Amino acid sequence: MFRPSKAAAPALGLLLGLAVCVSGFAGNDAARLAMLKSRIQGIAAETAYVEAITKIQRLGRAFGYYTDKGYFGEAADLFADDGTFQWGVDGVYKGKARIRELLTRHGGGSMKDGPGLPFGRLNLRMQLQPVVTVAADGRSAHARWREWGLLGQYKQWADWGDAVIEDDYVKENDVWKIAARRYYLNFEAPYQGGWAALKPVSGDWRSAVARDFPADAPAPVQYQPFPAVYLPPYDYAGTLRAIQSRPPIVPPRRPDDALGRLEALADAKELQLARAHSVRALENLQAMYGYYIDKGQWKQAASLFSHDGTYEFGQGGVYVGNAHIERALSLMGPQGLEAGQLNNYVMVQPIINVSDDNRTAKARWRSDVQLARAGQGRWGGGVYENEYVNDKGTWKFSKLHYYVTFWGDYDQGWVAKPFAMDPPSTAVPPDRPPTQVYQSFPKLQIVPYHYNNPVSGKPDPGEYE
Amino acid sequence: MRTPSIHLPGPLRRLLIAALAASCAAVAHAQGATELQNLERELNGLGDRIQRLQDLTDVEIVQDSYGYYVDKAQWHNLADLFAQDATLEIGGKGVFLGRARVFEYMHIGLGKLGPHDGSLIDHQQFQCLPTINPDGVTAHVRCIAFVMSSGGWGHNYYEDEFVKVNGVWQFKKLHGPFNMYAGYKVGWLDNTILNTYPEKWPPWPDLPPTVIYLTYPNYYIEPFHYPNPVTGKPMPPPSPRAGGEAFGR
Repeated sequence: MFRPSKAAAPALGLLLGLAVCVSGFAGNDAARLAMLKSRIQGIAAETAYVEAITKIQRLGRAFGYYTDKGYFGEAADLFADDGTFQWGVDGVYKGKARIRELLTRHGGGSMKDGPGLPFGRLNLRMQLQPVVTVAADGRSAHARWREWGLLGQYKQWADWGDAVIEDDYVKENDVWKIAARRYYLNFEAPYQGGWAALKPVSGDWRSAVARDFPADAPAPVQYQPFPAVYLPPYDYAGTLRAIQSRPPIVPPRRPDDALGRLEALADAKELQLARAHSVRALENLQAMYGYYIDKGQWKQAASLFSHDGTYEFGQGGVYVGNAHIERALSLMGPQGLEAGQLNNYVMVQPIINVSDDNRTAKARWRSDVQLARAGQGRWGGGVYENEYVNDKGTWKFSKLHYYVTFWGDYDQGWVAKPFAMDPPSTAVPPDRPPTQVYQSFPKLQIVPYHYNNPVSGKPDPGEYE
Repeated sequence: MRTPSIHLPGPLRRLLIAALAASCAAVAHAQGATELQNLERELNGLGDRIQRLQDLTDVEIVQDSYGYYVDKAQWHNLADLFAQDATLEIGGKGVFLGRARVFEYMHIGLGKLGPHDGSLIDHQQFQCLPTINPDGVTAHVRCIAFVMSSGGWGHNYYEDEFVKVNGVWQFKKLHGPFNMYAGYKVGWLDNTILNTYPEKWPPWPDLPPTVIYLTYPNYYIEPFHYPNPVTGKPMPPPSPRAGGEAFGR
C-alpha cells in the first residue's frame, strides 16, 4: 500500500492543490464535470452520425437529378476515384471514367457532346426509400435505395424501370462518396402490357450495353429478373442499428449552479438531437418495412412491430400482435412470394413527428403500389397514418394504418377499371373491424392528419365546397 | 533512493499553505469559469448543427405537406404554407405574388375546394433534397412531384425557397417547372402534353414567366441550387445541342 512519508505529505498536498488549480473543480464537482465532458463527446459523435445519414441521402438524391437530365459526368463524380458500379448481371465497372461511360450508354447520352440528352429521350430514375446506416468509426456507410424509372424514346418506346440499389460509401477528406454500387435491376418493362406481361428470361440476359461495352469484372452474383423473384441481399441484415436512436428521455432536475446550468443545456441539446436522430431511424424503419413487404418477408416485416402493435390495411380490419400481423401479411402471398408475383410498396413523402420525450412518434407516408400475380398487373396508391414506439432505443411500429386511395387495373388504368377494397378476410379474421368505413376511388376522402398545418398551426378545417 | 524533503518551521509552513490555498482558489475559480465557458461554447456549436438537422426535417415537412394538400384540393391549408409575400410559379403560367394570389391560382385555376369523386390529382413528393443556408433562416429544396391523376402521369421538378419567420419554416418561393405530362393509354410514348402558358386558363399572372421552356419530348434542365456534393463545383451548363436530334451525333 502506498504510504506517504511525513515529509512528503506537504508536497503531496501541494500537488493535489495544484491539480485542483488546474481543473478548477474538486470532489463531486470534478466527477460532474468529467461526466459533462463525456456527454458532450457523445453529442458530438451522434451529431456527426446523423449528419452523415443526411449527407448520404443527399448524395443518392443528387445522383438521380443528374442522371435524369444526362449529367452523367456529374453523376460519376459522386463516386470515389476507385469506385465501382455493378450493373445487374452485366458485371462490375471500375473507376469514374468507366462509370461515366456506363451511365451515358444506359441513359442515351453523349460522351462527346457533354451534359444533356437528345430530342425525345426520357431517362427519369427516381431515387427513393433509403435505408442508411453509418459505421461506428464514421468513415464508411451503407444504404439501400429503390430506383423507379420512367424511360423511353419519343414515339419509339416507353418503359417502366424497377431496381434496388445497395451502396457502400466512404468518407475521404471529410466528403462522403459512393465507393461501390450494386444495381440490382428487377425489370425494364414496356409501358404496353407492363411488368405483368414480362416472360421469364432464359440464358444470358446481359444488357445490350454490356455486349458493346463489357464490364471490367464479372458480376459476383447471377440472378434472374422479374417474373422470377430475386431478393437482393440487405446490408442491414442481422443488425437493428438502422432503426435505433436514444431511448426515451426524461431530463433530470439539475442543481442551480454554473455547472448545473450547463448540464441542463446539454440535456436540451441531447433531447433535440435524439429527436432528430429518431426521424432518420423512423425513415429507415418505414423503408425497411417496405423492402420486406416487397419480397414477401412477412416474418421480418412483422418483427418490426411492438408486441401489442396493430396492423390495418384498407377495409381489412385490425390485427394485433406480431404473430397475428404476420398471418395477416401472409394473406398477400407465400413467404418469399411466388414466381410472377410483384408486391412493390414504395414508401415516400414522410411527415414524421417525434414526441417531446422521444418516446413515441407519428408519421404520414404515401405508398404507391405495383402488383402482379398470374399475369395480371395492378396499380395502387394510398396514405399511411402510422404510430411508433421507442422500445429502449429501438423504434417499432405500434400502429400501421394504410388508407387505400385507389386500386386500378394496369392495362386499363384506375379511371376505366378501379377495384374496390377487399373486405375482412374470413381465412384469417381480424381482431377488430375497420376503424373507419370508407370507399376507395372513384370515391375520395381526406385521410385524417395526425398533425396541424405545419405553418399556421391550425387543425385541418376539412375543406369542401 | 532517498526521498528529498523540505524542512520548514511550523508557522512558516502554515502561512505558505494558506497563501497557496487562497491564490489557488482564485485561480481555480477563474480557470473553472473559463472551462465552463469553453464547454458552453462547444455545446452551443453542436446545438447549431443539431438545429440544422431539425431544419432539414422541418423544411421537408412543409414541402411534403404541400403535396398532401394538393391531393385533396385543400387550397386554404395549402396557401397557409406560404409566407405573406411569397411567390408561386408553376409550369408556364407566370408568377403569382403573395399568399392571396397563391390561393387564387389554385382555387380559380385548378378547381373547387376539397376532394371530388372521380377526380384524382395525387401530387406525390419524391426525392426531396433540402439545403439549409449558412444564415439558418433561409433554405432551398429540390424535389419531384410525381403525379398520378385521372388524366394520367406527370413528372415535375421543384426548386423552392423557404424562409424561417418567427421560428417557423414556410415557402418564400415555389418554382415548379414541368418536365413531362402524359395520358394513361400509351404513357409518354406519344401525345405528351406540352407546358402551360399564361392565357391557358384564368387567373392571369402578376408577372410573366421567368423562363420559357418546352416540356418532354424537348429538353430543359432547371438549374440546381447546390454544387456537386463531391467536387463542390457549380453545375455546368447543358450542351447547346441537348434536346436536338444532332446531340451525340
